Amino acid sequence: MTEMTKTRHYQGNPQKNSPALGATLAYLGVNGLLALLHGSQGCSSFIRLQLSRHYKEPIPLNSTALLEDSVIFGGWEHLKKGIEVAADKYKPQIIGVMSSGLTETYGDDMVSALASLRLERPDLKDMPVVLACTADYIGSMQEGYQRTVEALISTLAGHCTKTTVLHGTSTGCTGTGTGTSTSNSIGANANSSSSSNSNSSPSPSPNVNEDPVLSIALIPGCHLTPGDVDELKEIVMEFGFKPITIPDLSISLDGHAELEAAPVVQGGTLLEDFQRLPECTACLSFGLSMEKSGEILQQAYGIPHVNFPSLTGLTVTDEFVLTLAKISGKAVPEKLLRQRSRLLDTLADYHDQLGGLKIAIALEMDLLYSLASCLVEVGAELIVALAASQAGIHKLSLPIPIEVGDLEMLEERAGQSTLIIANSNGRQAAGLLKIPHLRAGLPVFDRAGYPQKRWIGYEGTQQFLFDTLNSVS
Amino acid sequence: MFTNLTKLDLKDKKCMSDAGSPKLCMKALPGEGAERSCAYDGARVVLMPITDVAHLVHGPIACAGNSWDNRGARSSGSQLFRRGLTTDIMENDVIYGGEKKLKESILEIATRHDPKAIFVYATCVSSLIGDDVDKICQEAEKELTIPVIPVNCPGFLGDKNIGNRIAGEVLFDRVIGTGEGSDEKIPLAINLIGEYNIAGDLWGVLPDLENLGITLQTAITGDANFDDLRSAHRASLNVLICSKSLTNLVRKMEIRYGIPFIEGSFYGIHDISETLIKIATALEDPDLLERTLVYVKTKEEETRKTIARYRTLLENRQAILFTGGVKTWSMVSTLAELGINILAGGTQNSTPEDFQRMKALMDPSAQIIEDTSSAGFLKIIAERKPDLIVAGGKTKYLAHKTRTPFLDINHGRKLPYAGYQGMIQFAETLTRTVLSPVWGHLRREFPPKEGEQDD
Repeated sequence: MTEMTKTRHYQGNPQKNSPALGATLAYLGVNGLLALLHGSQGCSSFIRLQLSRHYKEPIPLNSTALLEDSVIFGGWEHLKKGIEVAADKYKPQIIGVMSSGLTETYGDDMVSALASLRLERPDLKDMPVVLACTADYIGSMQEGYQRTVEALISTLAGHCTKTTVLHGTSTGCTGTGTGTSTSNSIGANANSSSSSNSNSSPSPSPNVNEDPVLSIALIPGCHLTPGDVDELKEIVMEFGFKPITIPDLSISLDGHAELEAAPVVQGGTLLEDFQRLPECTACLSFGLSMEKSGEILQQAYGIPHVNFPSLTGLTVTDEFVLTLAKISGKAVPEKLLRQRSRLLDTLADYHDQLGGLKIAIALEMDLLYSLASCLVEVGAELIVALAASQAGIHKLSLPIPIEVGDLEMLEERAGQSTLIIANSNGRQAAGLLKIPHLRAGLPVFDRAGYPQKRWIGYEGTQQFLFDTLNSVS
Repeated sequence: MFTNLTKLDLKDKKCMSDAGSPKLCMKALPGEGAERSCAYDGARVVLMPITDVAHLVHGPIACAGNSWDNRGARSSGSQLFRRGLTTDIMENDVIYGGEKKLKESILEIATRHDPKAIFVYATCVSSLIGDDVDKICQEAEKELTIPVIPVNCPGFLGDKNIGNRIAGEVLFDRVIGTGEGSDEKIPLAINLIGEYNIAGDLWGVLPDLENLGITLQTAITGDANFDDLRSAHRASLNVLICSKSLTNLVRKMEIRYGIPFIEGSFYGIHDISETLIKIATALEDPDLLERTLVYVKTKEEETRKTIARYRTLLENRQAILFTGGVKTWSMVSTLAELGINILAGGTQNSTPEDFQRMKALMDPSAQIIEDTSSAGFLKIIAERKPDLIVAGGKTKYLAHKTRTPFLDINHGRKLPYAGYQGMIQFAETLTRTVLSPVWGHLRREFPPKEGEQDD
C-alpha cells in the first residue's frame, strides 16, 4: 500500500485549503475592507462555509459571480462591475480582490480591468483596491495568505507607489499591487476612515514627533490564531512598543459579540496604520511564509527586518524576547521571566511523558514546523511529518524529512504513532487507527475554542504542551 | 459534452412575476453579495450522499479541498462517500492537460477503495483546459469492472439548481435501471427523492413507513447504496421531497418506467400526515389507506400531546424564516404548529411554486425578503426585530451578532427534524434556543447606564 502512495495521482482526504481561502483570511484582518472573489459563486460559497465553521463567525466575502458567458468572453467586465457594485452598495474603505482557478486559467488581467474602471468612474479613482493572484492550482492556504499580505503591504503601505511586479504567475497574472494606488489616494481615503486622528494630509502621520512610543510592524502568518496574534501584541507591548499588525485577526476574527454585523470587515488593521508603516522602528515577521512581506518593507523603507519561523517552543521564544530587548534597549520584563520559569518547571514535571510521545503530524508548513519543532525540543519523537504543500519544506528542517502529503497518507503512515496532530478532517484517519487526535490548523470545527488558543510565547508553549499531554491521557 | 440544458424540463420556470412573486433563481450580479453557490455544488449535494461509491472531483483544490465531508448526510453502512477525493489539478496540469492524471486517479481509487462505482465531477478549470472527462471515464471503465460515471457540472454553468438538475440527469441516464436484477415492480415500494438523510432525517421517517407496511426502495440519495439506486425503477411510486430541482428526474422516470410521482414533505405534523396519506392513496391500496388514516390520527394526537408544553412556551413569538427549496413552505407550517408567527420569509433556490405555496400559508402582512445578501438579511432583522430566526447554517453566526435566537435547519445541523419524531426534536431544540438564558446576557447593557445600577 505504501508503495502505491508514492506514485499516487490523486489527493485522498486533502489537508490543503485553497489559496483563495488564505487570501480571504488575510483580507479579514483589514478594517473596512470588502473582499471580492473573482470567480464563480461556488468558490466564495465554499470558503465562507469553511471559514465560518472554523471561526464560528460570519465571513463577509463577495463574488463576481461568473457564468458561462464570462468564461467565453472573459471576466473583465464582471470584475469591473463587481468592484463598482460592491463600492456603491457597501461603501467599503478598501476593496480586496482575489482571483480563482477559473479566472487564472483563462487569464483575466485584473490590473487593466481596474485601470479601465478608474477611467470610467473617476469617483472611484482613489478607492484603494488590492489585487491578489490566488490561482487555486498553485499552493495551499498558506501561499494564498502570503501573496495577499504581500499585495496588501505593497499596495497600501505609506507612499509605496512604485510599480512592483511581485509574483506574476505563468498563467496570465501580471502581478499584484500595480497601479492600484497613487500617493494621494490613501490620504484622501483616510477621511472616511473611522479613526479619530486621521488627517487629510497625504504625508505620513504628522504627529510622529509627539509620539514617544516606538512603533513596530508585526506580520503574523496564517499559522497563528487570533488568540496567538493577541498574545504576540501583548508580548511586544511589554517592551513598550506600539505594534502595527498586518493583518490583525486578533481584533476582527477573535469572536467578539460586535454591536453591528456588517458586510465589510470590522476590526483588523486600520488603513492609516498601513500609512504609518514607514515609521516603524523594526519589522518582525512570523512564519517563513511571511519573510518576503517583511523584506518588502525592509527594501522600501529601510526598516530592519527579522523573521521568526516559529514562536512555539522555549528556544525560539528566547530568541524572540532577546530580539525585542535588543531593539527596545530594555531589559526582559519580569512578567516574561516569570512565564519562562513556569515553562521550565512544566518541562521538568512532564519530561518523561513528553519524551515518550510519538507524533504523526500533518499541517500547513509554518504550523507544522512550529508545533513539530517544539515537540522535538522537549524530547518527543516524530514518526511522520506531512506538509500541505511544497512551500518551505526544503528551507526548514526537522529530525525526519518533511514530505508533502494528504490525510490518506497520514492514515497509511501514522500507525506507529501515539498522537496525531492535524486539522479536524484528520478525524477519519484517527478514528480508523484509534489514535488520539489533537486538532490544529484549519478547519477545526469539532472542538470548541481553537481560534482563541494561544500556543506561542512562554505561556502559549506551556499551554500547547498541556493540550498535547491531555490529548493522549 | 455538457448536459443540454434546453432538454431539461424547465416547464416550471415560466415567469411568475404576474403572480406577485419576486424574481427567483435569477442570475446573481457581480459584487452584490447574493451568497449563493455554483452548479458543481448543486450536483455534489445530490450525488455525494451515495454511500458506497467514490466521488472524485477533477479540479483544483478549491472545489474539493474546501468542501469535502462538510454536509451532515449520514450513512448506516459504508463511509466511503465521506472521503475527499480529488485529482488536485496543479499548474502543470493546467498547461499540459489533466486527462492522464484523471485516468490514473480513477484506476488507483478503484484499487485502493474498492468502490461500487466512481462518480467523476468536472469543474470550471478541468472544463476550461478541455479535459474530456466523458472519454476518460469510458476508457477507465473498460479497464475496470465498475461503472465510472462523469458528472459534467462546472461551476460556471449556473447556480445550485442547475447542478441539482444535472445530477438528476446523471442518475436517470447512468444509474437507474442499470442493475442486473429483475425489473419487476415491487408493490408498496417507494423512492424518496430529494431526501439526503441530513443529520439522519431519513431515519426519522423510516419507522412510520415500516409501521404502515411501505418499503423504501431507496432514497435519492440519503443513505443510498449504489445497487438500490440502480433498482430505483422497481418502485411503485416516487415521492419528491425537496423542492423542484429533481422534477426532471421524476418526470422522466414516469415516462420511461411508468412510476407516478407525488410531492410531499416530512417537516411538521400536518405535512407529514398529508404526505403519508398521499402516498397511501397513490399506491392504490385501500387497506393501506385505511391503515394510514388511523395511523396518522394516532400519531398526530401523540405528537401534539408531546409538543403541547413546547407550544405553550413558544406561542405568539415572531420569527423570520430564511431558507431554500421545499423548506420554505414546509417550515412555515412547522412553525405554525408551534404557534409561531412569521414576520418575514426569504427564499433562496426556491421555485416560484415553492414560493407561492409559502405565501399562501403565511399571514398576508408577512414580508417577503427579496435581498438575499447579508446586508439584506441584517436590514430586515433590524427592521422587524424577530424573537427568533430560522435559517440555514451560513447565516448562523451573522444572526448571533444581532443577538437573536437562531435555529439552523439546513445541512449544518446535528439533529434530525423530519417525521413525527423529528417534529418533537424540532420543538425541543427550538424551545431550548429561544428560552436560552444567554440572550438576556447578550442584550444587557454593560456597564449599566447612570441610574440603572439598582435594577
